[in-house]
Amino acid sequence: MHFNKLIVLLILLLTGCYQNEIMQKKEYIFGTIVEVTIYGETKDHASDAIELVFKEFRRLHNYLHPWKKSIIQDINQSIKNEKIYTTDDEEILSIIKHNKELESMTSGYFNPAIGNLIKAWGFHRDQNPTDRPNSILIDNLQRNLPHMSEINIHRGYIESKNKNIQLDLGGYAKGYALDQAKKILSENNINNALINIGGNILALGKHGDRNWVVGIQNPRKPNPIGSISLNPGWSIGTSGDYQRYFIVDNQRYSHLIDPNTGYPATNSQSATVLLPPIESSGTLSDVYSKPLFIAPEKLKFSIAKELGIDFYMIVMADGKISISNDMLSVIKWHEKIDEKNITVH
Amino acid sequence: MKKISQFIKKIQIGDLFTIFIFILLTGYLSSILWNFPQGEYLKIHMGKKEIGSFSLNQNMTKVIEGPIGKTEVIIDSGKVRISKSPCTKKYCIHHGWIKKLNQTIVCVPNQISISIIGNQSDYDSLNY
Repeated sequence: MHFNKLIVLLILLLTGCYQNEIMQKKEYIFGTIVEVTIYGETKDHASDAIELVFKEFRRLHNYLHPWKKSIIQDINQSIKNEKIYTTDDEEILSIIKHNKELESMTSGYFNPAIGNLIKAWGFHRDQNPTDRPNSILIDNLQRNLPHMSEINIHRGYIESKNKNIQLDLGGYAKGYALDQAKKILSENNINNALINIGGNILALGKHGDRNWVVGIQNPRKPNPIGSISLNPGWSIGTSGDYQRYFIVDNQRYSHLIDPNTGYPATNSQSATVLLPPIESSGTLSDVYSKPLFIAPEKLKFSIAKELGIDFYMIVMADGKISISNDMLSVIKWHEKIDEKNITVH
Repeated sequence: MKKISQFIKKIQIGDLFTIFIFILLTGYLSSILWNFPQGEYLKIHMGKKEIGSFSLNQNMTKVIEGPIGKTEVIIDSGKVRISKSPCTKKYCIHHGWIKKLNQTIVCVPNQISISIIGNQSDYDSLNY
C-alpha cells in the first residue's frame, strides 16, 4: 500500500514540474505583427489573458482604423461635411483630447490631423505605394495644413471649423494599445509579460530572474544594431523609414511625413525612444519617436529635452548615430560602431 | 517486508544482469531524451577574444592560433572535439566529443575554450 502511495506521489511531482515557462502568441493586427509573450504562468491562465489582450487589439484596430469603417472615419466624414459629430463615447473624446495635447507638446511634429496628406502619399492602403503623388496636390494640402487645436471637444460632441482636418491615429493607436494591454494583463494578475506591437514594446515585470531584452533593428541591415535590457514597466518605440516606404528615382519616401513640408522626412533612418513607467508610457513611446525622426537635426535634441526624453537614439540619414548619454549607458551594441560615427548628447 | 526479503532471495545472476542492463539503458535514454537540448552552434574563444560561432550542422576543421601554437577543432555534424593541441598534457583532446548545450572544452595552456550554445537569440523580441 505504501508503495502505491509513493507512486501516486511521484506522479503528482512529475505533473508539478510540467509548466510552460513561456507562452507566446502572434497575430497580424494594426497592419503589423503583434506579439504577446507571458512568462511563468500556467498555460490556461496565460492563454486566457492573451486572448483578452488580442480581443482588445482587434477592437482597437477596427475602432481607430484610419481608412476603413471606424469611429475615426465617421468623425472625419462629419468634419468634412461641416457637421457636428455627437457621441457619448468617453473613450474617443479622451483619445482626441490627448492627441490635441500631444500635437502642442511636440510643436506640431506629431500631427494626427493630416490624414489627407497621408492619403495623398498613398499610405491609406495596406500595400506600400509605388509612385510619388502630384507635387501641386501636396503643396496645396501643406499650405492648408490643419491642426488638432482646430478641433473642439465638448461634452458629447466634436466639431471643427476646418474641414481639412482628417484624423489619422496611425502614430498613436499602437502605443495606446500597449497601455490597454498593460491594463488588461495587470487586471488578470499577469505580472511578467512582453508586448510587441509592430516594434512598439512594453515590458511588464521580468523574464524570470532577468529583465526582458529587446533588440533594436538596424535600419539598413536584417539584424539588430544593439539590444536593451528593459527594466520592469519600461517601454521602447522606434519610428523608421524601412517598413512603410517606397523608392522612386533612388529617393526613399517613407510614411513619416513632415507636416512643415508635406513631404516624407529624409534626415533620419530611425529614431528610438526608451521611456520609464510613467502615465501612458506605451502611448508616448509610440508618439515621441515621431518628432525625433521628423524634426530637423538641430531641433531633435532640444525637442527631446523639452519632452523629457532621457533615453533616445537616432540613426541619421548618413548612417551616423546620435545618441543620448543615458541611452549609450544602457545599449549593448551587436555591431562594431566606429567612434567617428557616433555623437553623444 | 517479509515479501521483499523473499523476493531478494530469489534473485539470480541473470536477473541482476537484466536489471543492470535496464539501468544502463534508462540512464542512456534519459540522457539523450530528457530535457538535454542539443546545441546549435559552437562558440570559440581565444583568451577573452571571441573567435566566432560556427554551426554544428557541418563538417569542418578550424585551426586557432593561441599563445603556444595551433589548436585544431573538428566539427563533425552535430558533435565537436579538439583534435590537435600544442599543450603537453592533452587533456582537451582526451575530453573527446561534446554535443550537448553548454558543454565546454578548455585548453588552459593555449587559452582556447570551445562551448556549445543554443539557437536562442540574444533578445526576447525585436524593436523595429
